[in-house]
Amino acid sequence: MIVTTPKPLDEVLDLIAPYSNILIVGCDGCTTPPRGLREAKTLSQLLELGGKLRNKEFAFEVTTTTKQCDVYLTASTLKPQMSRATAVLSLACGAGVQTIAGIFPEIPVFPAQNTHFIGTEEREGGTLEQRCAACGDCLLGETGGICPVTRCTKGLLNGPCGGSKEGKCEVDDEKDCAWNLIYERLEEQGKLVLLKVYRPARDYQKSGWRITT
Amino acid sequence: MNEQAIEEKVIEEKVALELNEDYCASCSICSSLCPFEALKKDEETGKTVLEIEKCQVCGLCYSTCPAKAFDIIYYDIDSLTRYLEKAKQEYDSNTLVIMCKGSAPDFSKVEELFGVTKYIPLSVPCVGRIPEEVFLKALTMGIRAINILACDDDFCRFDKGSPVTARKILALNLLLGQLGYGTGAINLKRNNLKVKIDKDRCIACGNCVFYCPYDAAKLESPGIVSFDLAECKGCGLCVAMCPALALELENWERERISTLISKLSSEMERPKILVFRCQWATFSPLDNGQSAPNIRIIDLPCAARVDPFHILEAFQKGVDGVLIAACSEDDCKQEKVSGKSEHLVAVLGERLSQIGLQERLHFCTVAPRYPERFNGELEQFSQEIVTICSKEGRE
Repeated sequence: MIVTTPKPLDEVLDLIAPYSNILIVGCDGCTTPPRGLREAKTLSQLLELGGKLRNKEFAFEVTTTTKQCDVYLTASTLKPQMSRATAVLSLACGAGVQTIAGIFPEIPVFPAQNTHFIGTEEREGGTLEQRCAACGDCLLGETGGICPVTRCTKGLLNGPCGGSKEGKCEVDDEKDCAWNLIYERLEEQGKLVLLKVYRPARDYQKSGWRITT
Repeated sequence: MNEQAIEEKVIEEKVALELNEDYCASCSICSSLCPFEALKKDEETGKTVLEIEKCQVCGLCYSTCPAKAFDIIYYDIDSLTRYLEKAKQEYDSNTLVIMCKGSAPDFSKVEELFGVTKYIPLSVPCVGRIPEEVFLKALTMGIRAINILACDDDFCRFDKGSPVTARKILALNLLLGQLGYGTGAINLKRNNLKVKIDKDRCIACGNCVFYCPYDAAKLESPGIVSFDLAECKGCGLCVAMCPALALELENWERERISTLISKLSSEMERPKILVFRCQWATFSPLDNGQSAPNIRIIDLPCAARVDPFHILEAFQKGVDGVLIAACSEDDCKQEKVSGKSEHLVAVLGERLSQIGLQERLHFCTVAPRYPERFNGELEQFSQEIVTICSKEGRE
């Protein structure tokens, strides 16, 4: 899922200050924690209260989308409400924000979230961690299901480097050394031979920018 | 304050339940009934001892003690009798409906359950706390029909409250039958208030599955949530955690609480203080009259049903301060969900701080065993809000 955090409210208030009729659009898709109808409603309440303290009255409408990054679905969902809006505040990731901006180019669209990464959620500890960089050349099959592109601070394809200390990374000692994890995993699976495979530098073009279905 | 003074202060704190040793016959009925092991027989002296820290003030000991050795602050025989006398006039009815707060539905459901349109309502935290004497007094007063709505046995917040109620009513009905009141003079029914799901709104995010302390929520593939209502204990945590607003708790629907917030905020004087309180965290005495004109309280089935949505709505409606009064995690009648509620309130507080409203929201834990604690918290919070409001007035 795509991990986001809410932008500070004063920043959002600054963004929307010149507008009055604002449509807040949630996303029920992969945005995590979920930024659906509840978050849209909560944000409208907080911004109304924040606006009052700045002597600014907003008129908010709230709605949500199944997947804000889906042009077809988002266009059909938002069209009826769009006529009343002078600006849109999106709770989706950057892709969602740009989707709305692309469908309705005449209306300014603002992000209410900062988008961080594609990650995994550990609900018990309440943590979200990056797991995928969308590099377009997945090598998880050779690394015991542990991604060195995202989890190795240096993004090394051939590791570990000399900075692996007691299983931790020299750059951040709270962070596990990804290559140490890979070693342990492959050892457990009896596949240490995979570590002998040399991987050439990544071809960044493989990440791509457009795919035709 | 020196240590001795602190100690004295602790000792002096008023408690909701007291055991009068002079009357206690050491029969052990109370200690065998107490769901929280707050009453125990001292092996050496043979006397029954009350450990108030463990007491949840369910009142089962008070209602069953044959020696009347307990003094209780809430819902004692005198205040219940006074209430019935007054309410009989006020509601102009001779039908009584006693409901446990844990399962008390709205008027129309009561009407449907008991087939009554006009009745004297009495809502108490657990029907098991009402002594037989009160039922008999009600009948002597001219009340003809007594209807009781208790929770299902496994829904009872006090564990043994519902089973005790059932046995008590059975015995009373036998007795009343012998006296000529017919069989079934007291009518007992059961009710529970549980979660409701709007599947059209569900986005299958799994929050309810993760947060439900009772494993009542299940995420069936592909992405369909269902609730095993037999397991649901109606705490409302899933409702507060649902990002799609797809869940509701029966009788505590969002809309209903919103309406109540509007009504209360419009009748309050400034500085307006609204309290969201777990109904098990503090009990209202029956005849305490009106609260201060600037303070209103909304009792909820659990702190878990305190919804950030409603807190913000209160502020939007012009409320100056919102106080959340919950049980501590150890006292929580649910599976320690009050801690989750505290976290939710803290997260909201952080966002309120971004717009300068953080001091308007306060979370506290109280317990009915210390009846003055809630008022103490309320007073302190009120003063803070008064200070904030007067500062604003000057600016």
